[in-house]
Amino acid sequence: MSMMDAVATPRPVMGLYDAPMWDSIKAGAMQLQRCGACENWLYPPGPACPRCLSCDLVWTPVSGRGRILSWVKFHRHYLPAYPPPYNAIAVRLEEGPSMISNLEGAMPEEGCIGRAVTLVYATMPDGMVLPRWAYPG
Amino acid sequence: MKHPNPRNKRAAAVVGIGHTDWVADWARCRAGERPNDSYGYGIAALRNALADAKINRDEIDGLIAGPTTAYERLGELTGINPRWGGQADAVLAVSQAVMAIEAGYAEVVALVYGNDQRSVGTQYGGPEAMGGGAFLSYVYHSPWGFTSQGALYALTLQSYKQARGFTEAEMGEVSVAQRGWSSLNPNAIMRKPITIEDYMASHYVCEPLHLFDYCLINDGGVAIIIAEAERAKRMTDKPVYIEGIGRFDLNARATSLEPRIDDFYLPAQRAAAEQSYAVAGLGPKDMDVLQVYDSFSVHVPLALEGYGYCGIGEAGRFLRESRIGPGGALPTNTSGGHLSETYMQGWAHQIECVRQVRGEGGARQVEGARHVHYTSDVAGKCFSVIYGA
Repeated sequence: MSMMDAVATPRPVMGLYDAPMWDSIKAGAMQLQRCGACENWLYPPGPACPRCLSCDLVWTPVSGRGRILSWVKFHRHYLPAYPPPYNAIAVRLEEGPSMISNLEGAMPEEGCIGRAVTLVYATMPDGMVLPRWAYPG
Repeated sequence: MKHPNPRNKRAAAVVGIGHTDWVADWARCRAGERPNDSYGYGIAALRNALADAKINRDEIDGLIAGPTTAYERLGELTGINPRWGGQADAVLAVSQAVMAIEAGYAEVVALVYGNDQRSVGTQYGGPEAMGGGAFLSYVYHSPWGFTSQGALYALTLQSYKQARGFTEAEMGEVSVAQRGWSSLNPNAIMRKPITIEDYMASHYVCEPLHLFDYCLINDGGVAIIIAEAERAKRMTDKPVYIEGIGRFDLNARATSLEPRIDDFYLPAQRAAAEQSYAVAGLGPKDMDVLQVYDSFSVHVPLALEGYGYCGIGEAGRFLRESRIGPGGALPTNTSGGHLSETYMQGWAHQIECVRQVRGEGGARQVEGARHVHYTSDVAGKCFSVIYGA
């Protein structure tokens, strides 16, 4: 199946501040905004630091280390690109913010909350690159 | 407690309630009909509320439209030219009516809600999911397949289970108890009793949430008439006072859902509880009935802990031992709630509060109910409203 025929991955919300993050993901090195004044990290991207309201934000690569905060398993077919069963996890990045993503290479299971995960870049059938997470090693 | 305003205490009272025939409309929608649009449902409910209040429409001088109908069009269709008005969800509408009355902007406020979500196929998940304009978290995570309101609460329940040692069977107690109540309610859409075994055997939609943890999606309308307290006394023998209201919102890091999956809304619930209890001069021990906004069953254990009905980490035991169903220590969602009666986005909970205080609950009436507590935590906007005789 060519990329042209592949089921489309749901498009990200693309506000005024989101594009640099998705460009960095496509390049395989995810960046988030970091506050130049108080060093707070932002996710999702935005116009100002919620902690100190500074607009001095610097796109900075993340370490790619995080821990699982919670997880779910979808049993219903909501989206064409996602036939069930599939998982979603909430990950706390080492930098502070948390994000919703997927666990690659395994299904999450009882007791996985708190486990360390590392950032991986998954290329979807339509060519879109998604930041996902996997157990290290 | 910071500055609870005692002027809010019993400043206003509910003098009329009305709703549509959820059971009949459910059958018609399932047969492919569209019995009404959102305005039609709201107006049908308003007619019933005016009849219940025994007042003429001309006595209404304030109008609040629910979130699913446009305010001006609703005013046009109901022929109401108010001196004060607005648009709000259920609990915000109650709170705004009390504020307007207390400030002298209106004396008799009609709160009108109609929703044709079933017959028009409103989507709460998937490619056409609603709500993105108001809540970024509803749409932001769809590239990862993460969609639907249920998924947000499934993620909450999973981390709550881990943090508190809460079990799947304990979660099941909520839908079993509420079905126990709805089996006593002729207005409830789902009335067949279920057991914990039925719950455990039911399929997952977004694991760990089972089918029975999800609200219904149905058409209908609700209307409530709230009047200034002195006027309310002249209008009815059974005014139901709003004893106190508290609110606190958790917005920080809301898109990545941290107020839910990290905090379980607890700081906001505690702050809202404290305000409402301080204004009303009441506490959880004074409440005869609890009504919890239950788009998903997991709201209930969070509310039991957050509003002080049990200690932190004790909701599971409370559900098993003290119980919230018929005959239990804390009758909760006595109509069956969103899970089993009707999904009116918190509006039907308000009229169930009123019925219980009036003693009009029929087979499900809680004997001698004087104080009924409503709580909601929709997207971290935590509200606590106490209704009293």
